[in-house]
Amino acid sequence: MRSFLPYILIAAVLGLTAWALSFSSLEPADFTFCNGTEIKSVDPAIVTGQPEGRIIWSIYECLVTWHPETLEPLPGVAENVHGDSKTNRWECLSDDKKVYTFKLRKEARWSDGSPVTAEDFVYSFARFLDPATPNEYVKLLTDYVVNASEHYSSGKLKPGNPVQIELVDYENEKIGVPGPLKYGKLIATQELPKPKSAKEEDEPPRIYTVEVDGQRVRFQPDVGRGSQDPRDCKRVCLDFREVGVKAIDSHTLEIRIKSPTPYFLNLLGFYPLSPVNRRCVETHGFPAWTKPGNIVTNGPFILKERRFRDRIRLVKNPQYWDKDNVKLEVIDALPVDSDVTMLNMYMAGQVDWITNLPATMVPELLARRERQIAAGKKPDFEPAPELTVNFYRLNVTKPGLNNKLVRQALAMALNKEEVVKTVLQAGEVPAYSLVPPGLPGYNRAQAPPYNPEKARQLLAQAGYPNGKGPDGRSLRVEITFNTNETHQSVAELIQRHWRLNLGVDAVLRNMEWNSYQAAQQQLEYQVCRAGWIGDYSDPNTFLDLFMADNPNNQTGWKHEPYDKLVRDAAFEPDSVKRMQMLHDAEAIFLDEMPVIPLYYRVTKNLVRPYVSGFYNNVQDVHPLKYISVDKEARKRVLAEEVGR
Amino acid sequence: MIWFLVKRVFWMLLTMWAVFTICFFLMRALPGNPLTAERKVSPEVERNLRKRYHLDEPPLKQYVRELGRAARGDLGYSIRIADLTVNEILAAGFPVSASLGILAMFFALTLGISAGIVSATRRKSVADFGLMTVATLGIALPNFVVASVAILLLVFVWPLFPAAGWGTIESLILPSMALGGPFAAYIARLTRTGLLEVLNQDYIRTALAKGLSPRRVIFGHAIKGAMLPVVSFLGPAVAGVLAGSLVIEKMFAIPGLAVTFINAAQQRDFPLAMGEVLLYTGLLCSLNIIVDITYTLLDPRVKLE
Repeated sequence: MRSFLPYILIAAVLGLTAWALSFSSLEPADFTFCNGTEIKSVDPAIVTGQPEGRIIWSIYECLVTWHPETLEPLPGVAENVHGDSKTNRWECLSDDKKVYTFKLRKEARWSDGSPVTAEDFVYSFARFLDPATPNEYVKLLTDYVVNASEHYSSGKLKPGNPVQIELVDYENEKIGVPGPLKYGKLIATQELPKPKSAKEEDEPPRIYTVEVDGQRVRFQPDVGRGSQDPRDCKRVCLDFREVGVKAIDSHTLEIRIKSPTPYFLNLLGFYPLSPVNRRCVETHGFPAWTKPGNIVTNGPFILKERRFRDRIRLVKNPQYWDKDNVKLEVIDALPVDSDVTMLNMYMAGQVDWITNLPATMVPELLARRERQIAAGKKPDFEPAPELTVNFYRLNVTKPGLNNKLVRQALAMALNKEEVVKTVLQAGEVPAYSLVPPGLPGYNRAQAPPYNPEKARQLLAQAGYPNGKGPDGRSLRVEITFNTNETHQSVAELIQRHWRLNLGVDAVLRNMEWNSYQAAQQQLEYQVCRAGWIGDYSDPNTFLDLFMADNPNNQTGWKHEPYDKLVRDAAFEPDSVKRMQMLHDAEAIFLDEMPVIPLYYRVTKNLVRPYVSGFYNNVQDVHPLKYISVDKEARKRVLAEEVGR
Repeated sequence: MIWFLVKRVFWMLLTMWAVFTICFFLMRALPGNPLTAERKVSPEVERNLRKRYHLDEPPLKQYVRELGRAARGDLGYSIRIADLTVNEILAAGFPVSASLGILAMFFALTLGISAGIVSATRRKSVADFGLMTVATLGIALPNFVVASVAILLLVFVWPLFPAAGWGTIESLILPSMALGGPFAAYIARLTRTGLLEVLNQDYIRTALAKGLSPRRVIFGHAIKGAMLPVVSFLGPAVAGVLAGSLVIEKMFAIPGLAVTFINAAQQRDFPLAMGEVLLYTGLLCSLNIIVDITYTLLDPRVKLE
C-alpha cells in the first residue's frame, strides 16, 4: 500500500483536475449583457430590483408596454391603449377616468400555445394581492384599485361584507397555490387576546362568524390543523369579486380605480404586474414553476436556461404575437456583482452592454467619449438623467434638528456643486428639489442656493450663534452612511462645509448595510444619507414618500398641510391643477427641509455602437425586444478595439 | 483504522451541531433581518412576509425546526434567491468552487514542487536565487494584486484570456493561477527546505556512494521524505484556497460559493448562510481526516489514534 501511495496521490490529483476541467460550454449568444447581481426570482409578483426587471420584462408582457424612449404607454397584451397622457384621454378609459376597459389581443399566446385571456389577468392580480405571496410591491394595486386594499388587509373587514374563506387542503398543500375557497357574508368579528410572544405591531388573532350557505360558521385562521369550531382556515378576507378587476368576457378586462390617476396606465406596464400562467403555477407550485422547462410566459423571449450566478439564457419566443419585430434570437444575461469586472468584460469584448460602471472610471470614459465624437464615431457612453434623487435625511425628532431654521441652515451651508465636481465626478447634477428633472408637465419647486452667510444668520436666529448652543457647546450632528467609499467622501466634504461655514461639530458614522437600514427605520440617527428611485414617471412617486404614514418617510417629519395637498392631488381630475398642487406640496417640503436633496444620478450604461434600439430614458429601462445587433459591425469594432 | 474513522466522524458531527447552534443564534442577534430593504414595506406587508418565512416564531421554535430539517439533509429555501432551495444553490455552486480550488491546488503543487526541486538541487545557482525571489514575492503579494496584474497583462496588453466568466477552459486559467500562485510559492519553499534537509542525511549519501544517479536518488528516495511538510501544509492550504477564492470569484465573476456566502451573510439570508457554514465545516473536517490518513501512509512513525 505504502509504496503505491505516491502513484495513488498523483492519480488522484490528475483525476480531480480532469473532473475540474469537464463542463458543458454553451454556444455564444447574439447579445450578451451584464445584469448586476443574481436575480431573486422570475416570479414577477415577488421581486423589486432592476436586474429582475430586465429579465421579467423580457419574458412576460403586461397589459401595457412602455415606449422605449419616452416611456409613454403603448399597447401590450391590451390592444386598445391609444391616447394622450397629457390630457389623460385614452381609448380604454371611461369619461370619469375611473374605469379602464381593455380589449386583449386575440393573437396573444402563452409560450405553451394557449391564449392569454382576461381570466389570466384576474388570476394574476388576485395572486398579487394574496398575502401568502411575499410581495413588496403590493401598493401598486392596493393604492389605486377599488377595494384592493380592503381585500388585502383582513383588519378592515366590517359586518355585512361579502367575504371569501380560504380553507386548507391538508393533503395537497403546495406553496403558492391557494386552498379551496368558500364564500359567505361576515356576521361578526371577535378579537382574541394577543399571545405573549406577539410584537406590538402584530394583529390580534380573530374569530370570524360567517354565514355560509345559510349556516353560521366560525372560522379562525391558523387555529390548528383539523379544528372544527372555530374551523381552521388560512384566511378570511373581502371577496375578491368585490375588487375592481373583472373579466367581462374571455378577452375583455375591466379595471376600476378609486380616483382618476393619470399615471395608472403607466403602472400597468411595470413588470410586477405581468401576468402569470395559472396552470403552470398550480401544477408545479412554487418554486418549481419558475424553472426553465416548467415555466410558461407570454413575452418576447422565453427562459431557456438558468445557471446560478453564471448566466440566464433567453431565446426568442416563437409563440409571441409580435415576434416579427423581435430581432434577437439568443440573449445571455450575466450576473456580475463587481462594477470593475463588468468594465473589464466590456473592454475585453465579452459583453455588448453593461449596466453600471465604477464611479472612478467615469472621468476617463467621458474623455474617451470626446475622442470618439471627435473621430466621428458613435460614442458608447451616454450618461442621461435618471429618475432618482440622493439626499440626507434629517431626523426631526432629535433636539436641534427639530428646529426648521437649523435644518434650513444646514442645507444652505452645504456646497452641492463642490460635492458633485470634486467627489462624485460622474456627471451627477446638484439637487435643489426633491423631484428630479425630466418629468413632463411638472414645474419643480426650488430650495435656496448655497449661501453660507444666510445659513449663519439662520442658525443664530435658531439660537445657535456661531454654531454654539445656549450651554456654550457646539451643535453636534452625526452623519450616518452605509459603508462605501463614495458615501464616505461625500460625508467628509459635507462635514467640512458644516464645520467651516456654521461651526457645527459634525461627526461621521459608517454602518454595515443592514444595521444602517435598521438605524434609519428606528429613527436612531441624526443625519443619514439615502436615495430613492422613482417607481413611475410622476412627481407623486417622490412626494408621497414623506407623507406622515409612509413607512419610507423615516425622518419623523409630519406636516398636515403637505399630506393634504398630496392626498387631494390624487383625486384632482384636472392634470394642470394636479401638478400645481404637487408643486405647492414640494414648496412646503423644501421650506420645512426634513431632507436635504443632494444630487441626481445619471445612468451609467456602456453600450457598443453596433447595438441599435437602445434608448436613454429617465427610468433606465431598456426593453430587449427592441434591441438588435449588427454582426458585421461587431466583428469590425471588436477587431479594432480589442484586437481579438 | 475503522475505529479512528468512526471516532473522527462522530467528532465531525458534534462540531457541525455546535457550529449550527452558535451560528443560528449569532445570526439572529445581528441587527436587521432578511426582510430589511431600502424600500420599507407597510407593516401589514411585513407581517405577511415574516409569516411566510417563519420569522414571526420564537427563536427556539425556529431552532428546533431548522435543526430537524438540517439533520435530514434539507437546508430549506433561500430567502434572497427565492427560486432555488439551499440544496440546489450549493449543488450548483460547489462544483464550480471545487473546480477552481482543485485547479488552483494543481497549479500550486506542480509549479511549487518543481520549483522547489530545481532550487534544492541547484543550490545557490541563478535558478535557485531567481525562483526563490519569485516565491518570496508570491507569498508577500495578496492574490488580488496577482490577479490584477495578470488581467492587465494577459487580457488587455496581450489578449490571450477572457477578462472574466465561466464555462470555457480559457476562462479558468487566470483565476486558478491567481488563486494558486501564493500557495505555489509557499510549496516551493517548503519543498526546497525539506529536500535540502533530506539530502544531507546518511541514507542519501549511502545511495549516492552506491553509484545511483542523482536523479534516482532524488525521485526514488529523497522526495518522499521531503514531501512531509508539503502534505501537512495541504490542510491549511485548502482552507486558504476556500477563503481566498472570495476575492478571485468576485474579480472573475465566477459562480462559486464564496461570493454567495458573503452575500448571504450580508443580506441575512439565514437558511443559505447556514447551509454554507455547514458545508464548509463538513468539508474542512473531512479534509483534515484525509490529510491525517495520508500522513500516516507517508511516514511510518506517525500512528492513527
